[in-house]
Amino acid sequence: MTSLLERRAVPTPARGLRAGSLAVVLGVALLAALTAAVAWGSTSIPPGEVWGVVWRRLSGEAPRPGTNDLIVWQLRFPRALLAALVGAGLGLIGTAMQALVRNPLADPYFLGISNGASLGAVAAIVLGLGTGGALGLGLSGAAFAGALATFALVWAVARRRGGFAPLRLVLAGVAIGQFLSGFTSYLVLQAGDEQQTHSVLFWLMGSLSGANWPLLAAPAVAVPVTALWLQARARGLNALVMGDETAAGLGVDPARLRRELFTLTSLLTGVLVAVSGAIAFVALMVPHACRLVIGGDHRRLLPVSALFGALLLVVVDLVCRTAMDTQELPVGVVTSLIGAPALLYLLDRRLGADS
Amino acid sequence: MRIDIEDLRVAYSGRTVVAGARLIAAEGEITGLVGPNGSGKSTLLRTVYRHVKPSAGRVLLAGQDIGRMAPAESARHVAALPQERGADFELTVREVVVMGRTPYKRAFAGEDAGDRDIVARALADVGMADQAGRRFTALSGGERQRVLLARAFAQDPDVLVLDEPTNHLDVRHQVELLALLRAQRRTTLVSLHDLNAAAAVCDRLHVLHAGSVIASGPPREVLTPDLMAEAFGVRAAVVDHPLTGDPLIAFDHRTPAGADNSAVPSGSPAH
Repeated sequence: MTSLLERRAVPTPARGLRAGSLAVVLGVALLAALTAAVAWGSTSIPPGEVWGVVWRRLSGEAPRPGTNDLIVWQLRFPRALLAALVGAGLGLIGTAMQALVRNPLADPYFLGISNGASLGAVAAIVLGLGTGGALGLGLSGAAFAGALATFALVWAVARRRGGFAPLRLVLAGVAIGQFLSGFTSYLVLQAGDEQQTHSVLFWLMGSLSGANWPLLAAPAVAVPVTALWLQARARGLNALVMGDETAAGLGVDPARLRRELFTLTSLLTGVLVAVSGAIAFVALMVPHACRLVIGGDHRRLLPVSALFGALLLVVVDLVCRTAMDTQELPVGVVTSLIGAPALLYLLDRRLGADS
Repeated sequence: MRIDIEDLRVAYSGRTVVAGARLIAAEGEITGLVGPNGSGKSTLLRTVYRHVKPSAGRVLLAGQDIGRMAPAESARHVAALPQERGADFELTVREVVVMGRTPYKRAFAGEDAGDRDIVARALADVGMADQAGRRFTALSGGERQRVLLARAFAQDPDVLVLDEPTNHLDVRHQVELLALLRAQRRTTLVSLHDLNAAAAVCDRLHVLHAGSVIASGPPREVLTPDLMAEAFGVRAAVVDHPLTGDPLIAFDHRTPAGADNSAVPSGSPAH
């Protein structure tokens, strides 16, 4: 027995310390990335001037005349902030969703919510409800309505026979999600012209190009509220991943916690998909990657996932905006392209360490 | 603290699983639940750690109805070791044991010195102190059960509830785990598949059959050849264990149930 233990004993990682310093590094990197995201583009703006413009705007001073103020304050700063908020929100949703269905590879697409939001948005585009820009508020409203309707539907199916068991929730979500995406495909085919099809596809792949200050309002409220709520229940999430009976034995009502998590993540998914489309892979990959580095304790995993998600999406959106001269890439294309190999690399490394 | 289970009834979607069970787990004793598969052992235990609500009847903790207590309140008194294994969420041994402090902590609260102390002691009690940084899901079955027992200890409970804690363990680890149970002096309610293990470690046994308690008492009084035939449908003789003197049930693995039960001698041949 002793030899067995010796062979398998590995150095104890000080995960708390590691998570703390990682959070500081991620926070600094996020600030740097935000600065770069505002400074870089077709017109380059010196980093010092970026924060100068922001400071003058926030402190109520009169903005200096010139296009730089317009570019920073009206275009790039709201967009960078939206990227950070959406990324943080996706990191949180992924973390919560994975605990909710007790599967470290779950993401919001598992429960059909983003399919419903996409259907709402695509219907708005094709039926001409989303007047104005491709990401006007009418579109966001339709996406959020789609998310809510799907949430109600999945809830109704999952709760029958006293359910809310993880498997039942996933089966209901996947089935309903596929059903809804069938409708979405049909609508795409019905799109009247090339411009409509283009904006639908762009939206389905996720994009932050519609960012403006009013659009920031909903995620600016929803993401911090969700973050606090989840952090308050971090111990409950830990218990939940061990199993429902374990949770009950620790004084955590698993069915109630799961209902609350499902409601909260659905609302936040609706808000995020409404402002940025269906961005793939971030909610799946970010918590998983963070878990491999700092471990699974949700008290650390939640804030680190939020920070890493924010950083990732700010950087990816910067790449999408500046990689090609002629047009922007949809952000979801890049998240998939880097997300899948990154995940495979992390998994491979861990499986290698185990054997 | 003692546990009184009064006329407990549990029904899932019309099917009665526990049908008016009554039993007592006395303070400081190890009380065993035995019975064939589907006799309601696990369900009965789940009502004690409040994963299942009784359809009727009550579970009393030191005379108080557990169903009227706040979940965190009862979890400070009753700790469970259920059969589930958990998904791979990269939790370390120590993180799993720290979970035992959950019912004592408010939202956002971290561990204080007292928590760290009790977690360290729980890990030491099960002999896993030097394994605290390992990944929980990388452990062997026996190590895992010890860690889960440490989590239950970290809950600092008055009552331990264990559902088949020796399942899937090899004999050596079974013996180790049962020795750990005996070494601590908490009120313990444990279901066991292995009747010989139950006879060796339990102060009292309750035999469940079709959701009811059909026999209760010290192992030597309860585990008779007649009961083996009635509750388990097998032929068996009960003799004295040559090493320990505990009752030892010797099953007849050749004759199927009901073949000729009249041939079963009544009473232990050793007496």
